Amino acid sequence: MRAVVLVIMGVVVAPLLGGLIAGVDRRLTAWFQSRYGPPVWQPFFDVAKLFGKERLLVNTWQVVCAYIYVTAAMLSVVLFFLQSDLLLILFVQAVGAIFLVMGAFSATSPFSQVGANRELIQILTYEPLIILVFVGIYLATGSFKISEIYSQTEPLLKSLPLLYIVLGYALTIKLRKSPFDFSTSHHAHQELVKGFLTEYSGPYLALVEIGHWYEVVLILGLCSLFWATSWVGIIVLVGITYLCEILIDNVMARMTWRWMLGSVWAMGLSMSFVNLIWLHGR
Amino acid sequence: MLDSFLFILIIGPFIAAVLCYIVRIPHIRSLIVLATGCLLAVTSVLLFINGSFSHTPPPLLGVPPRWWVLWADDILLLTMLYYAFKRRHLFSKILIIFQFVCLDYFELFMVDHDKVFPPFVADNLSLVMVLVISIVGSLICVFAIPYMNKHEAHQKLEKSRQPVFFAFLIVIMGAMNGLVLSNNIIFMYMFFEVTTLGSFMLISHDQTETAIRNSVRALWMNCLAGAAFIVAMIWAYVTQNTVEAQKLIAAGHMGGIMLMPLALLCFAGMVKAAQFPFQSWLLGAMVAPTPTSALLHSSTMVKAGVYIALRFAPGFAGTFLSQCLTACGAFTFLAASAMAVSQSNGKKILAYSTIGNLGLIFVCAGINTPEAITAAILLIIFHAFSKALLFLSVGGMEQHIGSLDIEVMRGLYARMPRTAIIAVLGIITMMLPPFGVLLSKWIAIEAASRHLFVIVPLAVGSALMVVYWSRWAGVLLSAPYEPHVAPEQQGVLTRLPLLALAGGAVLLSLCAPFLYAELVVPMLPAPPFTIRAGIFENPEGTFALYPITLVLALGFVCAVFAAGKARKARFEGPYLSGAQTADPETFEGPMGKPVAVTSGIYYFESIFGEEKLTVWANICGGMLMALLIGGAVR
Repeated sequence: MRAVVLVIMGVVVAPLLGGLIAGVDRRLTAWFQSRYGPPVWQPFFDVAKLFGKERLLVNTWQVVCAYIYVTAAMLSVVLFFLQSDLLLILFVQAVGAIFLVMGAFSATSPFSQVGANRELIQILTYEPLIILVFVGIYLATGSFKISEIYSQTEPLLKSLPLLYIVLGYALTIKLRKSPFDFSTSHHAHQELVKGFLTEYSGPYLALVEIGHWYEVVLILGLCSLFWATSWVGIIVLVGITYLCEILIDNVMARMTWRWMLGSVWAMGLSMSFVNLIWLHGR
Repeated sequence: MLDSFLFILIIGPFIAAVLCYIVRIPHIRSLIVLATGCLLAVTSVLLFINGSFSHTPPPLLGVPPRWWVLWADDILLLTMLYYAFKRRHLFSKILIIFQFVCLDYFELFMVDHDKVFPPFVADNLSLVMVLVISIVGSLICVFAIPYMNKHEAHQKLEKSRQPVFFAFLIVIMGAMNGLVLSNNIIFMYMFFEVTTLGSFMLISHDQTETAIRNSVRALWMNCLAGAAFIVAMIWAYVTQNTVEAQKLIAAGHMGGIMLMPLALLCFAGMVKAAQFPFQSWLLGAMVAPTPTSALLHSSTMVKAGVYIALRFAPGFAGTFLSQCLTACGAFTFLAASAMAVSQSNGKKILAYSTIGNLGLIFVCAGINTPEAITAAILLIIFHAFSKALLFLSVGGMEQHIGSLDIEVMRGLYARMPRTAIIAVLGIITMMLPPFGVLLSKWIAIEAASRHLFVIVPLAVGSALMVVYWSRWAGVLLSAPYEPHVAPEQQGVLTRLPLLALAGGAVLLSLCAPFLYAELVVPMLPAPPFTIRAGIFENPEGTFALYPITLVLALGFVCAVFAAGKARKARFEGPYLSGAQTADPETFEGPMGKPVAVTSGIYYFESIFGEEKLTVWANICGGMLMALLIGGAVR
């Protein structure tokens, strides 16, 4: 029974939450920029509007890819709610991410192509970091299962402070926030138009948007694991983390992918390594 | 029964090879290849059903097998020596003469032949290897029949060289079967040398300048492996007084000087499996016709290397040697994955991917826990199917578009829909869940998590693999929409192996719980996972194979259904900043002239370029190998 409730939560509640977060994000960003901003529900209106648009396609592969993306994103959130294996969740999430890139590659538009290449660099940058964060969690709890984390008496943040920062890096890249919004960004007025999402349109772009909401929830869920011992801890940690993300998004300019790969790997890998050695030494 | 099974699996291919060589009628040769393939595949299954055994074969034609082996060895080494002289390669000559002298002295004056022990022993590891070799290998041989006809038509040869080609293709399978079933390491050595000669002949098959140069490189590197093997054999005999593999494994635990033979055997295995700094022979092997690459990379040759490491792994569990093996493997995994990212040649990407995956298997052999060994064996099986599939589809593409460059394969779906789809499927089975290669990788990562210096290269290497696979798959599909893609013509002998391998790659992944329970568990002291409803579970993690397969499959069916419905949608050319013309592949440039749209893949040559990294990677790889051998002497 509990499992069924968790699955329904994963499938239905998670995207609603993700959409709401996107709305709040836009509202806060507007506030930072001294604008009024759209209503909090705007992301839902946007998606509803997209679903009503005419289907305009460059090829049918993008349809396949959009569907698989949303399926994999949903499945990864459901696995998270069912407290499954962290690595498994990462791999299932990767199915979606990779199909999205393959869909972008299948369109011949140069914007889409360059965006797809850049998205792969983003994946290349964050994936090893997330694996190392999970390895840190494993060394701290003795298991990759989320259920094991909830049975801990002390917050993970205490033993994995550096890995939390590394996770922050990875998440900023995953959410494509400045300074890491190379492959696509929220604003379609950059040099790459809408980057690797350029050719996804109408109902299929709506699916991609919903998939993104699932991913936001998954990402914030991963953050919550670091203070899983109390509800207050979860809310405070996730709230502060997301506020920081929005702040960084607004104050940073976009950098180049070379800078991202070099600096994030240098910082991220060394910090993870130091933190892993601490755990190993215990 | 066992006698005839072993005869068919080991001697059978040799006889078939001789027939292929003698009978110069193309159709009969094709029949021989087909019949041998079927026979080997069926016999390997029967042998598997028959179960583990240890067996002493009767004298062949009245002569005990050990004499046959000695003669075969001498003929082999002399043949190799002939080629070393013909190609004027000094280092090969030295290595071969060294092996010849050592072997004959060892065989004739040192070994006490009165000691009786079964020369053939099979446990599940051997039987799984026989299955992989015989089934995947046979499918590749079948694919080679139409492939080689086209290949030679393209070359416009006066005299067909196919008899030699097929002879060695088949011989390699027989030798591999022999190698994995041998308990007597003198037998093992002989089969090891057959694969060396076979690969040398197959690589040089086209007789171009590059082919000959690369084949000589393969020869000396593999001869180095052979020399290490022979030293290991003599060392083992001097210290342990035995040439029986099982005894050597048991003796490894005594540590110290006893470990040296095992270290040398691992070294031989790593050279054979093209680990850094010996990767160049396998990269050079891609000049050969594609079935050769497919055979060497997927089910034979390089798998002989990892087999040796896995076979002797229980002997060095928990030693420094084991850690060194892990380090070497992890380094190769990282370096090969990084270099693959900078490649645009499809075969080279596949080659680096093979080297990387073999590195991962060595990592598992070095970690040496039941979990890691599970990962290694599953990876051998799944990698063989997916890699053979990819090589064969790339071979088909090469014959059709005349290039191996993945940029030229852009939009291949519009020209070769069937091959493109199969290649994309192969790529997906190599990197994504719920397919077997990723399952094995998941087990490997969980097993390696306590080894800090291993997990970082594994994490980075896996991400690099994702990069080079997914962009290739994407590019294959990259074409403007065409409502009716013309179906692709494929002969039955081309299509059948491709479909069988594709089916194998997908279905075997579904059978992973069964493979694990039936093939892997009997080999291990304690099963590392419990399986319930297709979910791999232990206290450290869980892989919900069937549930995620079910959900992803449902998603896939919906996706395909939706894509079918979307055919009614409006199709447009891609967005080109409003300057598009009626042709989706051009935009309106200066003076209203159409300009073709081009875009390329990022290869990151400034970071991962082959020229940049190879020297350093070879130095590091060499030092790690020195550590492996030196560390064993402590």
